[in-house]
Amino acid sequence: MIHAAVLSGFVLAVFAPAIQRRWPKAGSWMLSLLPFGLAVLFASHIGEEPVRESTAWIPALGADLAFRLDGLGLVFALIISAVGAFVLIYAGGYLKGHRHLGRIQCFLLLFMASMLGVVLADNLVALFVFWELTSVTSYLLIGFDHEREKSRAAALQALLVTGFGGVAMLAGALLLQQITGTLSIEGVLGQGETIRAHALYVPALLLILLGAFTKSAQFPFHFWLPNAMEAPTPVSAYLHSATMVKAGIYLMARLSPALGGTDWWFGLLVTGGAVTMLAGAVLAFGKSDLKQILAYSTVSALGMLTFVLGIGGEAGARAAVVLLIAHSLYKGALFMAAGAVDHEAGTRMIEDLGGLRGAMPVTAAAALGAAVSMAGLPPLFGFIAKELFYEAAEVHPVLLACAVATGILTVGAAGLVAIRPFFGRAVQTLKHAHEAPSSLWLGPAALAAGGIVFGLFSGTAAGGLVAGAASSVAGIPVTAELGLLHGINLTLLLSAFTAVAGVALYASADRIRPLLRPVVGSLAWGPAGWYDALLASMMRFATFQTRLLQNGLLPHYLRVTLGMAILLIGVALVRGTGPPQKNLLTDVRLHEAVVGILILAGAFSSVRATSRLAAITSLGVVALGLAMTFVLFGAPDLAMTQFLVETLTVILLVLVIYKLPAYTQKSSDRTRLRDAIVSVIAGSLFTVLVLGVTSMQLAPEISDYYIENSEKLAHGRNIVNVILVDFRGLDTLGEITVLSIAAVGVYALLKLRPHKEEPS
Amino acid sequence: MLDSFIPSWAELLRFMPEIILSLVGSLLVMLEPVTGPKSKSMLGHVAIAGLIVALGATFVAHANPGAAFSSMIVVDGFATFFRVIVFTVGILTIFSSYQYLDREGSNRGEYYALILFSVVGQSVMVVANELIMIFIGLEISSIATYVLAGFLRDDKRNNESAIKYFLLGSFATGFLLYGIALIYGATGTTDLGEVRQAVLQSAEPPVLLLSVAAGLMFIGLGFKVSGAPFQMWTPDVYQGAPTPVTAFMSAGPKAAAFAIFLRIFVTVFESVGDRWEPLIWASALASMTIGNFAALQQKNFKRLLAYSSIAHAGYVLVALTARSEIGTASAMFYLAAYALMNMGAFAVIAHVAGKGETTVDVSDFAGLGAKQPVTAALLTIFMLSLIGVPLTGGFFGKFYIFKAALESKLLWLAILGLLNSAVAAYYYLRVLVVMYMEEPSARTENLEPMPMSLQAALWLPAAGVLFLGIFPSAVLEFASASARLLGQ
Repeated sequence: MIHAAVLSGFVLAVFAPAIQRRWPKAGSWMLSLLPFGLAVLFASHIGEEPVRESTAWIPALGADLAFRLDGLGLVFALIISAVGAFVLIYAGGYLKGHRHLGRIQCFLLLFMASMLGVVLADNLVALFVFWELTSVTSYLLIGFDHEREKSRAAALQALLVTGFGGVAMLAGALLLQQITGTLSIEGVLGQGETIRAHALYVPALLLILLGAFTKSAQFPFHFWLPNAMEAPTPVSAYLHSATMVKAGIYLMARLSPALGGTDWWFGLLVTGGAVTMLAGAVLAFGKSDLKQILAYSTVSALGMLTFVLGIGGEAGARAAVVLLIAHSLYKGALFMAAGAVDHEAGTRMIEDLGGLRGAMPVTAAAALGAAVSMAGLPPLFGFIAKELFYEAAEVHPVLLACAVATGILTVGAAGLVAIRPFFGRAVQTLKHAHEAPSSLWLGPAALAAGGIVFGLFSGTAAGGLVAGAASSVAGIPVTAELGLLHGINLTLLLSAFTAVAGVALYASADRIRPLLRPVVGSLAWGPAGWYDALLASMMRFATFQTRLLQNGLLPHYLRVTLGMAILLIGVALVRGTGPPQKNLLTDVRLHEAVVGILILAGAFSSVRATSRLAAITSLGVVALGLAMTFVLFGAPDLAMTQFLVETLTVILLVLVIYKLPAYTQKSSDRTRLRDAIVSVIAGSLFTVLVLGVTSMQLAPEISDYYIENSEKLAHGRNIVNVILVDFRGLDTLGEITVLSIAAVGVYALLKLRPHKEEPS
Repeated sequence: MLDSFIPSWAELLRFMPEIILSLVGSLLVMLEPVTGPKSKSMLGHVAIAGLIVALGATFVAHANPGAAFSSMIVVDGFATFFRVIVFTVGILTIFSSYQYLDREGSNRGEYYALILFSVVGQSVMVVANELIMIFIGLEISSIATYVLAGFLRDDKRNNESAIKYFLLGSFATGFLLYGIALIYGATGTTDLGEVRQAVLQSAEPPVLLLSVAAGLMFIGLGFKVSGAPFQMWTPDVYQGAPTPVTAFMSAGPKAAAFAIFLRIFVTVFESVGDRWEPLIWASALASMTIGNFAALQQKNFKRLLAYSSIAHAGYVLVALTARSEIGTASAMFYLAAYALMNMGAFAVIAHVAGKGETTVDVSDFAGLGAKQPVTAALLTIFMLSLIGVPLTGGFFGKFYIFKAALESKLLWLAILGLLNSAVAAYYYLRVLVVMYMEEPSARTENLEPMPMSLQAALWLPAAGVLFLGIFPSAVLEFASASARLLGQ
């Protein structure tokens, strides 16, 4: 059943463009039936026992296509399918008549299916596969409006940052497998004790958090999210508020029973979350573009989620789940409302907007409903979320102070997005605004209504859902008795204070926001700055390294190869027994020494020669010396061959010498000195090596066999002859044949020569 | 004694693919002079037919595994796996060559013959069970490839490419031969199994000679697989050679060289494994880093892929460093996936290159997404696979390699490798950005439609890459089983 639920999105995605083309008006409504159906299906599971389904995929790797639907997965799956349905409808209205509407619907469905895969997968590899698919589809969706340079850059940035995090997460998952021996998430969760006590715990935790922090836009990786607002609004509403950015949160929540509860976990998550939520809230309040305000307030909300997950325990788990649901409801609604405003009024800058409530009453009401939830005012679901948020933060006064500060700033930002454009003095907008079509207001209205229903009837509507999810997060059964009233306590007092301070902040927004501008500038571009700096330094390193290693000169390449050989042999010799201990000079006879000196002199003069002829002659001397050595040590046949080959070589060289360009000295003295050093070292090492080999007892069998058998079997005393014509007779025949064919070839080439080459 | 010189039918059967290809190659050389200038492509078809028959013979041979010719060669799962890779690479190369050669006015029969000879060499390498055979195979493959690199002999870059490849290649081969000589010196045999036995049974193994031999062979093989620090020739040669030949070089000879790398290092040198492991470790890291970072700044697509091939060699070296069954299996899987995705990517370049390869910059691919959406989509698959995005073969290849590294406690190498693959994403993605999101270039505006042959050279590897990415199990298990036998 879960397999079908996840995979159906992929299948429908393939047909989406065709459906959209066939029914341009109703297409998106029809497409939305699938996510609606899925949402109903998931909703029917609330309160039931977890279900697990598994199909073998790659047994060798321990990677199964396993899915598990439990409380946490259910919450996410519901958000993904329900918001997905509204976003599909919304996109149909927002991009009406766009030539690529079908394609964007296809991408949205692909994304939805991948995202369902992420939150339902019960195998770390399967999870990673879906995780990367969300990154890729998000890249396609952000880069959708690709005529704009900024859009392209943003798409690439988002993919690079999240892709980098994904890779880190995969490494972390593999480490977890090293620790636990399984890739099944259920299996990993069952071994929390082992994992936390293991030496690889900290590396694994850091890598997984790197994945989660980049995906969920935590400081200092948050910069990609606001930049990704280049995407069309339906995409921002879906990916960048309700779902994809919460994948990192999902991962942390999912693994918290196994990885959580340690000092590392607490320190990293609480610090990261606190910085993110405060910085996000300040930036949101300082921005003027509606989508940017929403983007930064999303960053802030993600920070809150990380923060409460870091605190952990029952309170943390409960707060995380409720914040998550509330945020998806109100932020999705606000993004869609902002898009509707942009669509109808032609601008998203709050300075240019005002008094739209008359023209767009439904949108205004939806936005207001969502904003009240965002501000955390009763009786909306956001209020309960904020109460639980404060309650979780009560573990330490400093944390509580951070939480309240974030709460106040959030109230201010909520005012900016929902009060400023719709209420107050009407402003002349770019386009003459009127109410958006139903496809554009249905989504925000439904989601905002959800916030009200969940708030008023929290016990019945959300209790079971929250309890199940919070139990998954905490790893122990958690109850959730949600309600608007809990009596007078600290959190209620703080809520009241937040509301008052927040309203005051909003009232004085025009005075405070200009003051924030320098802060906004530095905070916003600081981390994006490190991204740019990192890219730039990567590029600098690339250039430097390429210049150093890749100058295109053959001698340089040869030098490196030879240098490596010297290094390897040298190291091996030093680490081994050292060069062979043998007195080498005892039995040298005079004529041997003379030949040796001759060879050396020849070699020396060939490199010092100033003309080509002299160089060739000197080389000839070296060769003759070698041949003499063969003679002296009893290998006349080898000497003969050497003589012949050398003579032939010298003749050939002399033949072509007049065709060659003038002889010039191309290398400087320094290069020559360096080359001399390299060659002397290389030569010496190889000499040592040869000596080492000769001092060893080689396997004697082969020569013995021929010595013994040449007369007995082949009736010949000259062993070399016997080998050539008898033992290896067939080889010789083959050689002769090849040589003859080669000779025929050469003859043919010589005959061809007089012809002028035909122009081809 | 004479009996042992006459091979049995079973032995001939095991060597049948090489026999077939050698015969077809010779046939092509003989047919070339009697084929009219317009019908040279027929010779290519014959070559493809020969390769397909050889593929069939490979499977027949695989059904009768065992050694042949006094144990000079051995047909095992490992050999079959790599035979299939190099034959497939040969087929894909010829498919992507027709249009290219016609455009350059150099569609000549010896091209196809040379491809076959080179493939024969690689095939000999992967079935060789003996150092001399390995050397012979390597030389057959290399010499044919040297010629192919300079096939367009009036083209200056072809000449530069061929001469650099030839000079450095022969230099490196010298080291390999030296290493072989030392092994023979140390053990008195060149048969891999006997060498291994000699080392294992000897009371006092000749560690010094073996480690020097390992070092020397590492130089020779490192060159062939473009592992650092012997990678320098790669960009110059890849850029200069005709694009289909570059594709061929980056896949076939490389896979075969890695095959013998694996065979030699996990069998013969296993006893001195502690000594060469740091070496391969460093080489793997250096290859990944040099390749990926250098690729960041490349404007020429061929050069970019050349650097990327260095980086990919680094990933495979990571698998070798693991020195385990799963390491060997992951290297095999990766090489298969890499051969497919790289062949595909180069086939697109061969299409866009234009006469004289004047348009091979990444910027020349601008607007390909709008002008030829199918070509662009296929190139996207190859690029994503090169990055290692899930559902492509490249992903499981990489995943498997890093898993092997972690299981062998190579934590740092694995992490640095993964970071490297994140850097690599940048330059592959840039190609996609240019292709889809920029205004069409002068070249893509007037791009001719793709001929059938080139489409085959794209669709086949694309299907393969996706198959390996979605249903990797069968291939993975085959590789694991072969790797297990190899280590015994």
